[in-house]
Amino acid sequence: MADRLVIDPITRIEGHLRVEVEVQDGKVVDAYSSGTMVRLIEEIVKGRDPRDIWAFVGRVCGVCTTVHSLASVRSVENALGIKIPPNAELVRNLMFCTQYIHDHVVHFYHLHALDWVDIVSATKADPLKTSEIAESISNYPKSSPKYFADLQKRLNGFISSGQLGIFANGYWGHPAYKLPPEINLIGVAHYLDALEWQKEIVKVHAIFGGKNPHPNYLVGGMACAINVDEANAINAERLAMVGQLLRQAKDFVNQVYVPDVLAVAPHYFDWASIGGGLSNYLSYGDLPTNGYNDPSSFKFPRGAILNRDLSKVHEVDPTDPSQIQEYVKHSWYSYTEGDDKGKFPWDGETKMNFTGPEPPYDQLNVEDKYSWVKTPRWKGNPMEVGPLSRMLVGYALGKDEFTKAVDGALKYLGVPAEALFSTLGRTAARALETQLVANWALEFYDQLILNIKNGDERMANMELWEPESWPDLAKGVGTTEAPRGALAHWSVIKERKIENYQLIVPSTWNSSPRDAAGQRSAYEEALLNTPVENPEQPVEILRTIHSFDPCMACAVH
Amino acid sequence: MAIQPALHTTQLRRVFVFSLSVRLFHWINALSIFVLAVTGYLIGNPPALLTSQEAYQGYWFGITRFIHFIFAYIFLFNFVIRIYRLFFGNRFETWRNFIPSNKGFFREIWQVVRTDFLFTRGHLVSIGHNALAGISYLFLFILMILQIITGFGIYAAMSDAVIVDLFNWVVPIFGGDAATRLWHHIFMWGFVVFTLIHIYLVFYHDYVDGRGEVSSIFGGWKFVESDTMKEQDTTDYNK
Amino acid sequence: MMNIEVKTKKSRSVYDDAVEKGFNRRDFMKFCTTMAAFMGLSASGVTAVAKALEEKSRPAVIWMHFQECTCCSESFIRSSHPMVADLLLDNISLNYTETLQAPSGHAAEKSLHETMENHFGEYILLVEGSVPTGDMASCCCIGGKTAEQILNEVAEGAAAIVAWGSCASNGCVQAAKPNPTQATPIHKVIKNKTIIKVPGCPPIGEVMAGVIVHMLTFERLPELDSTGRPKAFYSRRVHDTCYRRPNYDAGLFVETFDDPNAKKGYCLYKVGCRGPVTYNACGVTRWNDGTSFPIQSGHGCIGCSEANYWDNGPFYSHLAEFPGFGIESNADKIGLAAAGITAAGLTAHAVITNIRKRKIIKEGVAEGKYGLEPKENESQEKTE
Ligand code: HEM
Ligand code: HEM
Ligand code: NFV
Ligand code: SF4
Ligand code: SF4
Ligand code: F3S
Ligand SMILES: [Mg+2]
Repeated sequence: MADRLVIDPITRIEGHLRVEVEVQDGKVVDAYSSGTMVRLIEEIVKGRDPRDIWAFVGRVCGVCTTVHSLASVRSVENALGIKIPPNAELVRNLMFCTQYIHDHVVHFYHLHALDWVDIVSATKADPLKTSEIAESISNYPKSSPKYFADLQKRLNGFISSGQLGIFANGYWGHPAYKLPPEINLIGVAHYLDALEWQKEIVKVHAIFGGKNPHPNYLVGGMACAINVDEANAINAERLAMVGQLLRQAKDFVNQVYVPDVLAVAPHYFDWASIGGGLSNYLSYGDLPTNGYNDPSSFKFPRGAILNRDLSKVHEVDPTDPSQIQEYVKHSWYSYTEGDDKGKFPWDGETKMNFTGPEPPYDQLNVEDKYSWVKTPRWKGNPMEVGPLSRMLVGYALGKDEFTKAVDGALKYLGVPAEALFSTLGRTAARALETQLVANWALEFYDQLILNIKNGDERMANMELWEPESWPDLAKGVGTTEAPRGALAHWSVIKERKIENYQLIVPSTWNSSPRDAAGQRSAYEEALLNTPVENPEQPVEILRTIHSFDPCMACAVH
Repeated sequence: MAIQPALHTTQLRRVFVFSLSVRLFHWINALSIFVLAVTGYLIGNPPALLTSQEAYQGYWFGITRFIHFIFAYIFLFNFVIRIYRLFFGNRFETWRNFIPSNKGFFREIWQVVRTDFLFTRGHLVSIGHNALAGISYLFLFILMILQIITGFGIYAAMSDAVIVDLFNWVVPIFGGDAATRLWHHIFMWGFVVFTLIHIYLVFYHDYVDGRGEVSSIFGGWKFVESDTMKEQDTTDYNK
Repeated sequence: MMNIEVKTKKSRSVYDDAVEKGFNRRDFMKFCTTMAAFMGLSASGVTAVAKALEEKSRPAVIWMHFQECTCCSESFIRSSHPMVADLLLDNISLNYTETLQAPSGHAAEKSLHETMENHFGEYILLVEGSVPTGDMASCCCIGGKTAEQILNEVAEGAAAIVAWGSCASNGCVQAAKPNPTQATPIHKVIKNKTIIKVPGCPPIGEVMAGVIVHMLTFERLPELDSTGRPKAFYSRRVHDTCYRRPNYDAGLFVETFDDPNAKKGYCLYKVGCRGPVTYNACGVTRWNDGTSFPIQSGHGCIGCSEANYWDNGPFYSHLAEFPGFGIESNADKIGLAAAGITAAGLTAHAVITNIRKRKIIKEGVAEGKYGLEPKENESQEKTE
């Protein structure tokens, strides 16, 4: 008989995730993933002004802030036929890139690293040796023996105070931790450095959107007017600051994030064959270079891969009702026509129907409904979305930058391409795409400067701003690639109000419960065969779950 | 249901109904409501004037607000005087004329409704304003109170004056500054609607009652059938 | 007005504890040496350890997460002064926060319960997110318990409670109409304790850190306004500290986004700015280490620190939607309609009166108006 192991709360994620696994002979044999918090934002936006929705749905998540606002303005613009000026597209791209760089770095250091890095072991490191290792993998300036010695002293003081704060009751000393003390110390150092740096890069959002988290968007473009002869607008000073921040970010990614991932990986090669999970990958693509309406211009290409067959990339059309369906068979909702059939989001419904156990409860009834997350499917298939999917789609399409990045990393680590389909592959893909995005950000920045130099200062198209200019019925889709994967918002606008609004979010794809046919989604599938050495300290489960970077506020919304 | 015409004669007497302070109140009130509504409307919907100036070159919006606030104070103090008169005014000015306090009051409302809406000629009892008008003024006074508290409520954020600080409690009750301001704006339309009806009815009653209604708010006098008067009406005030 | 003292009992050190339990200085140093050896430190490390153990302990802090988007946590880690790393390592002991803490599941709950027991009456409770209540309590569960149950338990022993952000302070977006999950701000769940509300969606990072630093530095709660917000950060409207204010007073407004006025940085009032009705430090402290704030980047304030701000929309018009009349109905449209209907009614009345006047006048005469002859009268009426 398998033992039921419940982990709730899963920490170092966004939101409220509960995982129940069956463990037999030290391995996971079945898994159930449940989102335990709901706000029902899809219902709250009904009846409201379509131009306001970006603000509401922006609050779906403060961790992947901006992405829902972006999907929302695109959805409304798509419905109403609004085309935004090129500068607005570029500014949105810059905000998108900023979000990636921030989110991925914070994920790696503050949400994921403690699965691999043993803080307590770092107290035993030799600062001199640490410095040598650090300097051998990167030219990051903060790598002197003195730097690591000071840091270690601070760490010692902290640990010996007996008040470990967020590190208390961690799984320190667990045999699954394999890094030498020196690399652990580098991890601790960069945990703190990243914490200090991350608050800088988001200033790009503050400049264009006024604040971060939750910067402002605008249907029709962006609100930040450009006027190079005005202190009150985007001018040379503001742009110089953006440029500086982007260059700093690129340095941080190249000197700290990517080298760290590559330095940690060789100690955990066993994880290159654990946690692969589903073999289907989906990406809507994003970062237009010729406007949102031309997906072929996207830096991140659109496409789907089935059965790990990299020789074929399937076409994806988010407006095609036969491609995307959402199920509620195992989710706490009900559909008017019964819970066995899926629904295309334009006709989607979000009616709560909680059938779970009366709290406080010990175990969910996983035979029935067991999560607030709905279950999306592409042509009936469960899909993984996220960095790995994006890298694979780009790689399978033979896009130059993707093949270079992926092949380079595989070669450096000396592992075969199969290693990509794993917990480690997912974590590495995230780092690699951050590198791409950091480069692209500077391209978009240069393009923006060039446009302004050529006299184009347009930032918003207000021609269809007034509701009188809208049709009585309009439907739109806004897609993006959020840091955690493919994101789309479907809107139906009737008589100038939101009639229906549905989101299918990356973490919805990945964290959902089983569908009506009993197929597992990404988390559940990826957890199969994960080793569990000590059920009281399930660090292995956290590794695979964290490799997806769960966001449950997103997943449920 | 027509009233039988019966020939008899009556004598009209001059009755002094509105003292100078109430008449002054009335016109200061009318003027300040007019100014407040116009400036208030502009505050809510500023027109696009002088769009290519530098900020230091103009202050029209500030002045509009300033006028609004000046008249807000006039409006308040003027009302305070009227409130004093509600307790210490003459028989036609006290609070009893506004608050339905006895059967007669309700009977009279019915009379006036018949006059106003069924176009039948009733027998007027009141010498000051009629009972229905009294009720409408009661509503107006309540509207004025609401407008004053919401107005000074939002003003509390902009001023540390003692009087203004008395209104600090208002905003939380209305659920925030935005809601208070919205209500303040909505109430403006209450004044507009009141004024339309009021002016119409004043002229209408001047016409149907034939008692010199309109002139009473200028000179203070009405002309009333002596057989509908009680003795004190003539002795107390018919000076 | 609300200068309640934060209890200072918490600031005892490990050394104090040891002395109280009857250990002497020598025992203590021996313990330090063992600790240092365990951590692989040289002899000089022993003094560092001893020093750390002699220093007063950092106050225990619990950060709960309920119905939220976690942007409050994100905003908190954006703080530049103090920097969050320093706060966490040197000033407080953040023992529970699902977003950042190392352990999950039972081990995480252990961190929570140890703090609740060992620091009963001493810990600072920070709450992010609203709490679904009543029939909807199951809309937020952690470890199988509802947010409501957890909040009630954890509030019990808290020395001070802070409501982070608009979610915990006023319910925020999930409490917007129709509030399907009965999302409730925490002061409506915990009624017997002072709750420091730090609204905003999210609040500015430095403001959040500032509230904590205020308590640590002055060892008392910050002074609160009548609705429970620290006066230090919420006593002024965005409008009062907005650098575009001279344009407002001069009547220079942005008419629509990206118009010539927008490019000159005129006031955003006419495109819906809620600065005049919003209390927050955005105009002064600004966002992200003073980089900007919504208005500086060309978008009006949406009022994110005000209760009910989601239902005061639409965001792009100064006048809110008229309550109960739906989109595109504002007070002016409804008011104008009411005035129109009134005028129409009065006109109809005037017409009817005119038709009926002969009868009315007859009746008036019948009552005995002096010296009026019907014929004369009629001609008089005509000239009116
Ligand atoms: C008949 C009386 C009044 C009328 C019709 C009136 C009308 C208005 C209107 C329509 C607005 C614009 C509201 C908006 O759309 O935001 C306004 C604003 C305002 N009113 Fe009044 N009001 C009256 C009396 C008062 C009084 C007694 C005060 C007391 C101080 C006052 C203070 C204000 C304030 C402070 C504002 C906001 C001005 C600003 O923020 O610039 N009002 N008023
Ligand atoms: C903003 C416009 C006006 C307002 C708010 C207003 C309000 C009032 C009020 C409150 C009274 C009761 C006085 C009292 O007993 O305290 C009143 C009475 C009166 N008002 Fe006005 N008034 C307005 C305009 C006018 C105008 C334009 C006229 C005449 C042309 C007028 C004529 C009268 C008359 C005749 C009375 C006495 C009626 C009676 O007591 O039966 N009013 N008005
Ligand atoms: N899943 C998810 Fe998000 C992301 N990335 C959004 O669309 O985190 Ni909050
Ligand atoms: S208050 Fe706003 S920012 Fe904070 S958690 Fe709630 S939605 Fe997010
Ligand atoms: S932009 Fe907003 S806050 Fe600034 S002055 Fe104008 S209305 Fe006030
Ligand atoms: S929207 Fe919020 S961030 Fe400040 S300027 Fe307004 S309070
Ligand atoms: Mg959805």
